[in-house]
Amino acid sequence: MTPRRQRLALPLAGAGLVGLVILSLAVGDLHLGPGRILAGLRGTDELAATILWQIRIPRLLVAMLVGASLAASGVVMQAYFRNHLASPGLLGVSAGGTAGAVVAIGFGLAGVSLFLMPVAAVCGALASTGAVLILARRGASTERLLLAGVALNALLGAVTSYVLSSFTLTYERNAQILFWMLGGLEDRTWEHVAMASPIALGAIALWPLGRPMDLLSLGAKEAQSLGVDVRRLRRIMLGLATVLTALATAVAGTVGFVGLVVPHLLRMLVGPEHKRLIPVALIGGAAFVLACDLVARSVGGLRLGIVTSLIGGPFFLWLLRRQR
Amino acid sequence: MTAALAIHNAAVEGRMRPVSLELPAGKVVGLVGPNGSGKSTLLQVAAGLLDTEGTVAWAGRPIDEIPILERGRMATWVPQEAHFEFGFPVRSVIAQARFAHGDDGDGVEEALDRFDLRPLADRPVNRLSGGEKMRVLLARAWTTRAPLQLWDEPLAPLDVRHALEILMLAREIADVGSTVVLSLHDLRTAHCLDLVCVMDRGELRAIGKPDDVLTPDLLLDVFGVRARTAPGMILELPQTTLNSR
Repeated sequence: MTPRRQRLALPLAGAGLVGLVILSLAVGDLHLGPGRILAGLRGTDELAATILWQIRIPRLLVAMLVGASLAASGVVMQAYFRNHLASPGLLGVSAGGTAGAVVAIGFGLAGVSLFLMPVAAVCGALASTGAVLILARRGASTERLLLAGVALNALLGAVTSYVLSSFTLTYERNAQILFWMLGGLEDRTWEHVAMASPIALGAIALWPLGRPMDLLSLGAKEAQSLGVDVRRLRRIMLGLATVLTALATAVAGTVGFVGLVVPHLLRMLVGPEHKRLIPVALIGGAAFVLACDLVARSVGGLRLGIVTSLIGGPFFLWLLRRQR
Repeated sequence: MTAALAIHNAAVEGRMRPVSLELPAGKVVGLVGPNGSGKSTLLQVAAGLLDTEGTVAWAGRPIDEIPILERGRMATWVPQEAHFEFGFPVRSVIAQARFAHGDDGDGVEEALDRFDLRPLADRPVNRLSGGEKMRVLLARAWTTRAPLQLWDEPLAPLDVRHALEILMLAREIADVGSTVVLSLHDLRTAHCLDLVCVMDRGELRAIGKPDDVLTPDLLLDVFGVRARTAPGMILELPQTTLNSR
């Protein structure tokens, strides 16, 4: 890990993200060249303007917010549990968010107001965070953490399936529930952007925590002895990670493995220091989800959650092998 | 003179019965006792890391009244074993000592030399051996410049030269007015200590000068061993001898 690599990581990630943004604007059922994109953004080309402002821009904004939030929660959870393999998906926090969202749809709450969905997702995610805390204490072994995650994912999956099977008659609700279970960014609107926008605030709140998180990630008592208010820091970290995951789940459904893959790869690139890792992970997460969504858009039948899992599953297996 | 560390009736359920003690500044204090006798618990209580019923005071101030950040400048604690999950470079782990000083980075380079860590400065800390990790932890503790240093079995994983160097360093910090409390198993090191606290089954059994406290009777009673003086090999650093004042 050379200092040069560390310095270049942020500009490179930023440049990559800009490239992906341009690509996301251009690619679709109707391909838009640079000229039409500019004309569409300015509103002089009406068709391009509709495609960009009503479809592609909200979708890419949601994709970026979702990616940034999942990667950031991964970073926070790994520091909290002092374990490389902790992530919102594996620990069942994402599944909690999904279960919350699905229950909200099943009981028709989502029809009352679109914004009840994120509230329900946050409640579900908080509940599973609480359960993880009880099942696996801090500094718990990898096995314990993962087993707790397995149990929670199974339990919450059952809740989701139950809601699904008990509403077989209402086709529309079932389709909505399936959407959340598979995770995707189809038909995202500006309302979804608004729903996900607190993620940006969460990212800003994360910034000053970088340094104390460094100390915490090497041992809670040691950190406390060096002057970190560990109890307070942990509360803020867990609250932020949970809310970030829940908001991402509320707008995009279950998008797995982002919180595991992105922080891990970037830590290999820029090192474990959080002041450097957090901004790179926010940008890297946004770029990763945007890239996966581009793939999902270009290949028929694929959805975002499927793409991230297709990449993340093998990566996770590789990680487990490497850990031995 | 106010005690550098004063503990009054501190107990931890199931691990330590009420303990009271006062340690003056400028001493190297050894904490001895069989496995599970409460040495680590007492050190963590002294460091303010475990909740207890009693009171703990540093330099005359009850620690409950000291803000956590300031505590990081007043006392520091070294765990028996480090669990480094992430590969922070050695230099940056040592620099964490200055968190409570606004991350000024003071003394980090000096620590690398003092603890023989210069060749490892850029190596990831999770790849080091047990003894090397302990030296990193001690280097970090030393770099805080905290006047109360609480070290949990610092010598156990170290090779003989590094162990002697750590004892010499403890003496050096004590000579400028700090207090070093360290738990240890090798009673033959006791002659390097100013004071010894003997823990037994969660109780403070005795405290005093090593020669007064570590009598054959006590050793037999607490540790179940017979102490006998016999000619043997003495190991010391080539340039110095270690003696208690």
